[in-house]
Order: sequence, then structure tokens, then C-alpha cells
Amino acid sequence: MIDYQYLKPKSLEEALSLLESYGERAMLIAGGTDVMVGIRNGKFAPEALISLRGLEDLAYIEKDNDAYRIGALTTHRMLETHPLIRSELSALYDGASQVGSVQIRNVATVGGNICNAAPSADTAGPLLALDAVAVLKGPRGERNVPLSEFFTGPSQTVKELDEVLVEFRVPAVMGEYGSAYHKHSRRKAMDLPILGVAVSLKVTDGKIEDARIALSVAAPTPIRAKRAEDFLTGKMVSEDVLEEAGKIAGEEASPRDSLRGKAWYRREMIETFVPRMAQKALERLKNR
Amino acid sequence: MSEYLYVGKSIPRTAEVDKVTGRAIYINDLKRPGMLYGKIKYSEYAHARIKHIDTSKAKKLPGVRAVLTGCDIPDVRVGFLKDQTVLKRDKVRQFRDEVAAVAAISPEIAQEACDLIEVEYEELPGVFDPFEAMKEDAPLIHEVDARGRPVSSNILPLPWRFSAGDIEAGRAASAHVVTDTVRTTWVNQCCMGTSGCIAEFDMNNNLTLYNQANVIFWDKRRIMEYFAQIGLKNSKVRIINPVVGGSFGTKLDTDIYEFIAIQLALKTRRPVKILFTREEEFRALPPRQPAVFEIEQGCDKEGHLTFRNVKAVLDNGAYTSWGATTPSVMMMPISSLYRVPNVFFEAKCVYTNNIYCQAMRGYGNPQATFAVEVSMDHLAEEAGIDPAELRLINCNHSGDETPMRLKITSCGLEECIRGVKEKLDWDKKRGKHKGRGVGMASLIHVAGGARVYKSDGHGMMIKVDEHGHVDVMSGGTDQGQGSPTVLAQIIAEALGFRPDDITLTFGDTALGLWDAGTHASRHTFIAGNAALRACEKVKRQILELAVEEIPKLVKHQIKRKKRKDPDFKEPDLDFSLIANPEDLDIKDRIIFCKKDPENPYFRTEVSNVLREALHVGTGQSRVVAAEAFYDPPTEMLDREFKGNLSCTYAFGTTGVEVEVDKKTGEVKILQLYAAHDVGKAINPTLIKGQIYGAGYIGVGYGLTEEMKLEKGKVMNPNFLDYKMLTAKDKIPVTPMIIETDEKDGPFGAKGIGEPGLVPTAPAIANAVYDAVGVWIKDLPITPEKVLQALKEKREKEK
Repeated sequence: MIDYQYLKPKSLEEALSLLESYGERAMLIAGGTDVMVGIRNGKFAPEALISLRGLEDLAYIEKDNDAYRIGALTTHRMLETHPLIRSELSALYDGASQVGSVQIRNVATVGGNICNAAPSADTAGPLLALDAVAVLKGPRGERNVPLSEFFTGPSQTVKELDEVLVEFRVPAVMGEYGSAYHKHSRRKAMDLPILGVAVSLKVTDGKIEDARIALSVAAPTPIRAKRAEDFLTGKMVSEDVLEEAGKIAGEEASPRDSLRGKAWYRREMIETFVPRMAQKALERLKNR
Repeated sequence: MSEYLYVGKSIPRTAEVDKVTGRAIYINDLKRPGMLYGKIKYSEYAHARIKHIDTSKAKKLPGVRAVLTGCDIPDVRVGFLKDQTVLKRDKVRQFRDEVAAVAAISPEIAQEACDLIEVEYEELPGVFDPFEAMKEDAPLIHEVDARGRPVSSNILPLPWRFSAGDIEAGRAASAHVVTDTVRTTWVNQCCMGTSGCIAEFDMNNNLTLYNQANVIFWDKRRIMEYFAQIGLKNSKVRIINPVVGGSFGTKLDTDIYEFIAIQLALKTRRPVKILFTREEEFRALPPRQPAVFEIEQGCDKEGHLTFRNVKAVLDNGAYTSWGATTPSVMMMPISSLYRVPNVFFEAKCVYTNNIYCQAMRGYGNPQATFAVEVSMDHLAEEAGIDPAELRLINCNHSGDETPMRLKITSCGLEECIRGVKEKLDWDKKRGKHKGRGVGMASLIHVAGGARVYKSDGHGMMIKVDEHGHVDVMSGGTDQGQGSPTVLAQIIAEALGFRPDDITLTFGDTALGLWDAGTHASRHTFIAGNAALRACEKVKRQILELAVEEIPKLVKHQIKRKKRKDPDFKEPDLDFSLIANPEDLDIKDRIIFCKKDPENPYFRTEVSNVLREALHVGTGQSRVVAAEAFYDPPTEMLDREFKGNLSCTYAFGTTGVEVEVDKKTGEVKILQLYAAHDVGKAINPTLIKGQIYGAGYIGVGYGLTEEMKLEKGKVMNPNFLDYKMLTAKDKIPVTPMIIETDEKDGPFGAKGIGEPGLVPTAPAIANAVYDAVGVWIKDLPITPEKVLQALKEKREKEK
């Protein structure tokens, strides 16, 4: 039978001390849209749920000279409706606005989406392509982990059991990039991506100065397609160049056959959507 | 045509206010005093021998009131071919096989107890493809038949074979012939309300079963048959429907969980409720019947169809329910959609270790129409004729008798085809093959009942009380289809009352007369006709009373006026004008004199008359009530599967414009026109609702929905992986209502429940071909399949 204690600490310190005392027997819960489903399906059976919902000060979107700061408890709906995200970190807007439904986005948090570490997480690709850094707090203090080093496997991350993810930092310079994310799915709502492609580009006078490409459901974790990025850097924008980058990214990926999609199809979608998202990112840059 | 007050008006559904405000009582909400909760333990194998079942741990769990296995209940066979037992004790043949059941004080405890039951299996080789299952060395799903005689094949003893004319002669007369292999798969009915029931016995062993059956009298019959075999032949059975959250065919057969609830209730002497989870709905409810068709079709130089030759193989799954009878409906489009003189159709149903199937909206028609209509476009291309033109050349018309001996009465098919063609701007848009394309498909379906049982009747009782309230007891059921509103409109119109005056009671075997069920798009037509006949009697009774009572009422009235006003001048009234019931009529609850309709003395509320007739103070008081039973003048199919099984037939055409992304294989529907010959739209909004809903299910069937089975196991038993369309995937459906005023229909109406779904998938397949030149003849038309086909096409063209 499903049975657990529900603990709702009022401060981060209290949350950390609860984590310490319960250890493996506890799970953190924020929006609950993954955790509760997992409990119901028998994937998790924690003795205690430590809710972060009392830590309201961890839900924020801010920008200072160094970085965009996004609190881990920021909901997808907050991201979706924030003008800064939409205009300057567009890929994250794309990802956040396509999760589940409005009802789900109202409770599901970006921190939860990342810590759940599903290969299909819709904010993972955009945050990777935006060079985000995850800020973790624990009994040993605070540490910053680039998102590209955060995931270690399906449902696995570098976050220790006694740590709490508190913030994402996206370098302020990313505001100068154009970015876009495509969630390739069969439906327009209540769906997971068969494949996700996020691209961010910095372009001056038609020359690609910097490129970041992130893929989800293309490997056991969300990944960066670094060879494709390197290929693009320094090139003049053209249809052929973008097509070629798509091909390289397709080769870099290691998608698998699953109920939701075949590996060959996923690879072809990478080839299709890397150039399409690059074009979208360029258009956004132009329209700024 | 006369002016109607309520027929033809889009009156809002009245009962639905309770649904949208959460007040309606579904099976989920229903509780009975002392009620227990039942859960079912399902098989862990697709095919295995049961060696041992240990229930000891489950029985010890606090809160458990009963644990049953096949050894605890009578070994009685149930189902259409009596090929299964309620709880399986020797062998499991599919993952949904019920091996044990628990009743407990909460659903959680019951589930925990189920998990504690230990079953030891010996796995047997399974067979998951009907073609494999037909091979000689295939494992046998059933070793013996219902009578215990040994069986040597997995092919069901159901010889579906239809023949009309001469196929060879047809072939010889053909200038063009095409052959296609067409496949359809399992789809789930996806009712919003999951399945469930409550079984409750009284001390005399009479059963009240609260369930969602849409054929309550057949449900009762099947349970009575079961009772006769388990020693309860003197028990009575009453079926009561709570509010039902959709059926779409799922509630046509009595499901095993209902028998299990009955057994648990018998054992515990307490009411027992079984309520399916969504996962169970996917794993343990029979879905739509899949089929593989080989279709061959030909036409002469002018495009006249010469023959149609169809062979189908149906994956029956492990047991037999209504899915195995879908060929009886497949015959209808195969023999009668468009004029085709020579027809052959044969269907084999084959046992496998997959999930077994049932009815779903359209009942075999969507599968067969997919085959026929994809073949039509293929033939059109082969013959070099525009596909719409080929359909018009062979169009069905009023007065036709088809090879199946269906007598076509009213027929709006030509209007439907032409209407869709015009709306789509067909001639301009077709044949471009540049990523956008148009396609169409049509349908024929029963629309005036369907004589699949020996009685296709419907009984209706109507009473009108002294307050002018009209209570209607229908033997039919309401799964949310809207016919209660439509029937209220029909009754109001026929009686001269208002729809608000009418209260309908459905779905109770104790309160209603026989009805053959809310299925086959028959309710409006059959119940509507019963209503008209009952209304005629009721109205006659009211007017007979009026003839006696109105003069008395008038005299009272004059007397009163005189008392109040001594100067009041008595009017000169000619009572001979209202001497006979024929002299009177009712409109808006007011009885009036036909020859002098504005005369205020001859106008009175029905309730005044009824009150006068009831409260008479002598032994002469009277009430108004009548019943009517309508059984349409139709035929059962004969041994050759021929006969006019419906009073009239529905026709319709769906036309779509699609855009295909050649790099992703995605199909986007830009426009969908659904033209339907509905006879007469009694409530246009509700008709549109049926067309929208059916169109959505049709698009799901065509593009996204499939139950994925791996070695018999349903791998996507949830709405995340079962891709039913959401509100955000809006399809631009435009319903087009064609009225042909069917002579036998109530106010001219035909049935519309199923038709909208039927031609949707083939119209999409044909449009995809028009857009990018590939034909996906295997539903659903997924992006993977489109992309694969495009690649193969490019390879070929190299």
C-alpha cells in the first residue's frame, strides 16, 4: 500500500537537516508531477516525502550583470509567462511552454524537471544549449555544476542525496544568442518528446561565432552535440552548412528503439530539426 | 413541410448541467451500505498452465472478506461462444485472464491482497499473429470447444462467407483491376468513465446490478442464463444504469468483471463494487477488432464497378466476444457501398494469445470501409478517373436494392460527395503531389435500427400527471449520446408540450419495457418511433378527457365570473365545436379548438383537464398513461447473410485536405468536411456534436491511436503512450448536414451515432497519397510509416 510521511520544512536549512536524518529513506518533492506518478506506479516507495513547497523564496526569475538566475522552484508556467525568458532565453520558453498541460505547468518546477533527469526532460535541452549551471546546496556548502556535467544516466545526476538544487544560472552573455527548441511529439499537449532539439547561436554579419546544440531522447541523458557545434563555429550561415551540422549531430547521438520511437527515426529527426531550429534561432535574432 | 416548435431546434442538453457541475452520480460515486470493493488478479503470462494458486497470505490480510479462484466457483462457461470461464483454473490464454478475485473493505486492501496471491505457472508457447495461428503446427489456444469436444485448429467455427453475383464474370468484364492489402489495428474506446459495477443480492438471492450496460435486457438475459447454471434459476435480476461516462461499444457484452462482482457478492453477502483503473481499461477491456484485408476490385472502361472480392483475417484474441461478429457489419460496406454487382467476402476469425475484442463505434464498418475506400482511390488511379468521379459514377441511389438485399430508401450520398468536393475546392487542389493533398471517402451504415437480434424493438411508457408533468420510461439507455434531449424534443412536438415538461427515465430493467439496446445508431430512430406511437395514444386520452371536461370547466368559469360581476354577459358558445377529440389539439400544453383556436373559453392547460378528470369525488377518476412498443419492419440476415436489416441507411462523405511534412512524415489536417445524410436534424447542435466527436475518434484511428502489443502484452496502457488526441490537437472539422426526410424516421430522422467516424481514416490515407504519392494502408498512418514509404519511393525512382 502507498504510505509515506509528508514533511514540509519552512527553510532550506530545515530541509537539509531532514535530508540528513532520513538519508535514503526520503525523497524530495517539489511540484510532484513526476514523483507522485512514480510512487503510484511503484517506481518509488519512499518512507518520507520532503516537500520543498514551503520554500517559496526559491521561485524567481532574475537577471543581474553576470547571469540570469532562475530559482529551482520556479514553475514552468512562470517561465512560460515571463517576458525575459520569452525574448532572451527563447529556447527555454519553447521547452517550458510545451510540458504537459497548463495545469501541470502551474505546479511542475524546473528544478524538478532537471533532477528527475529523464532523457526526455523538456527544459534540459534548452538549459544545456543556454550553458546553464546548476547550483547545489548541501552540508558541505554550495557547489556549481555545469548542466553538461549534471546528468550521469537515466534518472541519475551528480546531486548527492543530502543536497538540494537551488538555482540555475545562465550566463548573461547568452542573452545575445538566438535560441530555439523543438519538442517532436505526436500530440500538442500531454505528451513526451520522441526527440528534442535545442539550438543557440551567436551570429555576427552572417558568421556563426558560437553554437550550442543540445539533444534530448537521443542518448541515455540529454547531451550536447559538440562536434556539430565545432563544425558550425566560424562558418557563414547557409542552408548547406546547417544541413551538414544536422547530419553530424545525428551521428553523434546514440538514440535507441523504444515504444515511443525508432532509433532510425530519431536520428532522422535530429538531422531535420537541427537546421530547422538553427533557422528559427536566426530568425529570432533578426527580429529582436 | 409543417412548422415545428421543437424539432429542428438546437435545444441545449438539459441533463448535462449535473454532469458539468459534478453532481451526476456515476458508478465511481455510487456507494451502497456495507459495500465491499473487488479487485481482480490477472495472468502474468500470455499462455501458460496454472499449476498452483496459493491464496493463504491474501486471506490473512486484515480487511479481506473473500478470495476466490476458479476452484471456489462453479466451472461454468460464459461468453458469445462459451469459450471462457469467469475465473480461469486450468490455463491462461492472454494477459488479461482473470485468475483470482478479492473482496475487501477498501480497494487498496483488495489490491494488496491480489498482490499477495501466489500463482505458479508453466509457460506455454504463445502465438500472437493470426496467420501464424492458422498454421498446422501452431500452439492451440483452446484444446476443446464449449461442449468439451477436441479442437484441431485455432480458426473459429464462424463461417463468415458472403457471395452475390459472379466474381469471375465481374473480373472478365473489367478493364481495370487493383489488389491491396489493408491492415487495421487495436484501438481502445477510451471512455471518460472507466468500467465498473456494483452487484448486490437481497436475502432471497435476487440481484440488483448497477452497471453501465447499454443493452440492459440482453445483459439481464445473459446473467439469468448464468444463474440457471449456478443454481440460482429462481433469482430475479434487475439492471440499473447510473450515469454512464461513455460506452462506444464497450458495454455491449457482459464483461467478466461483472460475473466476478456477482460471485464476490454471493460469497460475502454484501454489495461488491468493481471499478476499473485506467490501466485496466487498456489491459482488460476488449478493444476494437483488428483485421487484415485482401481486397480486389475492378471496373469497366467507363468506371462502373464490376466486382469486389475481399478476404479478411481477424485476430480474435484468446476468447470470443462481439469482435468476432464484426464481419456481419463489414459485409455492409463491402457489398453495398457504391453499386457493385458481383461481391465475394470471406472472413476468418482466429484465436491467438492476444487480447480479445469487442464492439466499438462503427462495429467493423471503419475497418472494412478503410479497405474499400483505399481500394477505390487505387482503382481510380489505375483507370485514370478522378476518385470523386468514380464514386459518383457508382453512387448509391434511392430505390436501389444492394447485393446484400439492403433496400435503400432515402439516399443523400451524391449530395454528400458533391458537397464535400465543392467545399474542398477539389478540382483545383487535387493531383498536385506537392506536399498538400485532398482525399475523400464515404460510408453506408444502418440508420433505422439493425435487426441483429430477433427483436429490434423498443418499449416506451408515458404518463402525464395532474401537474402537466410528462414522465417517460424508456427501456433504452443513455451513455451520453444526447438522445434524451432529442427524445424530449420529439415527445414535446408530438404531444404539444414543452421539452422542459418531459422527464425521461432510462436504463432500468424494472421500469422499462424491452429495448434491444443503445447501439447500431438506433436509439433516436427506434425510440423516436416508439415515442411517436406512445404520444399518439397519450394525446388521444388527453383529448378524450378534454371533450368531457372542457365544457364543465367553461361552465364553472362562467359561474365564477357571474358571481364576481353580476353584469357579466354570458358568451354564446358553440360546444359542438369541441364535441369530439378530433376537434381539439394541443400546443404548448394548451388544449384548443381547431376551428376556433383563439376562443379563450376553449383554451385550457392540459393540467386543468387532468386534474378535473382525476379528482372527481366518485368512482370514476381517471389518469393518463400509455405505452407503445415499436419493432421496425425489417429482416434478420438469412443464411447467406442477406436481408434488409434496417429500415433505412445513413450515407456520408468525409473530405480532408492535408499537409505532409516530407522530412518528418507528419500529417497535418488543414480542413475536414464531414457531410452526413441525417434524414432530418432533430437537434442540429447535437448532430454536430456527434460528427465532431466521431471525426476526432476517426482522426485518432487514422493517425495516432494504436494499442501496442508485444507478445500479447499491452505496452501502452495509459494516455501518455496511447495517443488519443487532446483539445490542443484541434482538428478543423466542419459538419455538413444533409436532410433527406426519411419517410420511416421520427420526423424524418435517421441515426447518426457511428457514421462520422467511419470514412475518416480512408479519407486521410487518400489525401496523404494525393499530397506525397505514398499510400499507407496500415493504420495508424504514423510519421515513421510515411517517412519509410517516402524513402522507399525515392529508392524506387532512382
